[in-house]
Amino acid sequence: MIELDVALPLPQFRLHVAATLTADTVAVLGPSGSGKTSLLEAIAGLRPKASGRITLGGEVVMDTAAGVFLPPERRRVGYVPQDSCLFPHLDIRGNVRFGMARGARARIFDEAVAILEIAPLLDRFPTTLSGGERQRVALARAIATEPRLLLLDEPLAAVDPLLKGKILPYLLRVRDTLEIPFLYVTHNAGEARAVAREALVLREGAVMFAGAPDEALRSMSLVDPEARFDNILSGLLGKASGIRETGTLVVGEALFAVPAEETARPGAGAVFSVAPEDVLVSTRPLEGISARNVHPGKVISCEASGGTAWIRITAAQLEWTARLTRPAAEELGLAPGREVWIAVKTHAFRRLR
Amino acid sequence: MTLTADDFSILLLTLRAAAIATLLILPVGILAAWHLARHRGTGRTLLETLLSLPLVLPPTAVGLLLLEALRKSGPLGRLLDRAGIEILFTWKAVVLATAVMSFPLLVRPARTAFEEIDPRLLAMGRSLGSGPASVFRRVALPLAWRGILGGTLLAFSRALGEFGATIMIAGSIPGRTQTMALAIFQRTQIGQDRAAMRLVGVTVVIAFAAVWTTEVLTRRRAQKAAA
Repeated sequence: MIELDVALPLPQFRLHVAATLTADTVAVLGPSGSGKTSLLEAIAGLRPKASGRITLGGEVVMDTAAGVFLPPERRRVGYVPQDSCLFPHLDIRGNVRFGMARGARARIFDEAVAILEIAPLLDRFPTTLSGGERQRVALARAIATEPRLLLLDEPLAAVDPLLKGKILPYLLRVRDTLEIPFLYVTHNAGEARAVAREALVLREGAVMFAGAPDEALRSMSLVDPEARFDNILSGLLGKASGIRETGTLVVGEALFAVPAEETARPGAGAVFSVAPEDVLVSTRPLEGISARNVHPGKVISCEASGGTAWIRITAAQLEWTARLTRPAAEELGLAPGREVWIAVKTHAFRRLR
Repeated sequence: MTLTADDFSILLLTLRAAAIATLLILPVGILAAWHLARHRGTGRTLLETLLSLPLVLPPTAVGLLLLEALRKSGPLGRLLDRAGIEILFTWKAVVLATAVMSFPLLVRPARTAFEEIDPRLLAMGRSLGSGPASVFRRVALPLAWRGILGGTLLAFSRALGEFGATIMIAGSIPGRTQTMALAIFQRTQIGQDRAAMRLVGVTVVIAFAAVWTTEVLTRRRAQKAAA
């Protein structure tokens, strides 16, 4: 549990965040410049001007009224900044080992290296790595310190359309295998929903919303114009069908046709992303359509933001976000409760990593 | 042109004094550079100006100030006298004079090197569990070593050639305090120009090597920063 009551003067406004976060995985959302990074740095102890109270798992790391301000090295918080901040004078092995205590279990190093798949990078230097690789090394370095909390700041620049270097699949693994709680800053509300069990939305340094990620998602298009709403599907790969180019992904009881991959093994876990632009919405049953994934569903909510309409739909026991133009949404007469069909092409499913 | 036994002993005395002076100012200079790089404010500017004074004052003026401080009736001299330490006009005075004069030449490049380090890397080191001293040793020093080495070589070169302050507090006693710079002057005074030229040749070789090394190191640092 993380209890926050932090104030910090910033050039544009005064950051004040008061929240009690009970979930082990929390997404921190909000537009650029809303104070997300400053909040993480205050929790890590890197902002000497921060005041107020922070407790992590019951231990007070900061209580300025009582004169308590633990220095960063004693907070046991693993911070992964936007630009990774790897040490340029150390190779990747040296970077990952940097924060390991002298008597640390050797296993934690191997574990961090294995989970983040950085073994081939160990002898290289940071300048030769891609942005995504650096991010993974920085995450491994933080994990190797055996922190009680991870703070992860994902840069907006890493939200590249090609989905290369996505940290998300690795983050899911960290969550599921290491059980280290984390705070995850992202602009991708869809990812936030897939990763986190709680969401904190900041706006101009104040908490706009704290609660279930699904609910946070609803108002995000208004709060953060840069927010993305990728549909994240995490499931198991099914048996390859007779035709080589398509495979199947099983999510719960639903089955999706996805592009087959040569490396794919049936039964293996996989994470796919579907952009909201790639979700077609129809108010009539779809027939004679080339898309392989057609599911009936129901509209949960509609929001308009500029010329865009964001439609949330439950279908195949999942919540989807579709991005339509506003005229298209209005002509279809989409409204909460309306029965619809969604269609997604096989190749709109893009595997992360 | 071969060096005589006399030339050799002068060279040795000079190298030894310069080396001891450089080693003495190295830890103090690095720490001073680190603190100057980390802290801002009027206190810092004042300290920086004071530390740089030997660069801009006439060396003989610095020498006279040292002489005043160290004479037996002076503030420092009395303490040293009571402790039985004699400095003036001994080889220790050569070391002191060269140390004071070379100090700013070490501190300036070292300070610049520390300032060039991304402060976020230092913060990262703290967040990864290292205390301030450990971050200095494991992050700051390895990232600034080129600048520190460059400054050290500069300071050493300056120490080799120090004249004004040395002659004020150490004199020019052959075999005891007479360094190459002093010997060159003295030899020309008594008409031994060829003997003086031999020492000039030696100083040129040493200075060339030191400055060359500094250039190479700083250039590599600039390239690295550009990459």
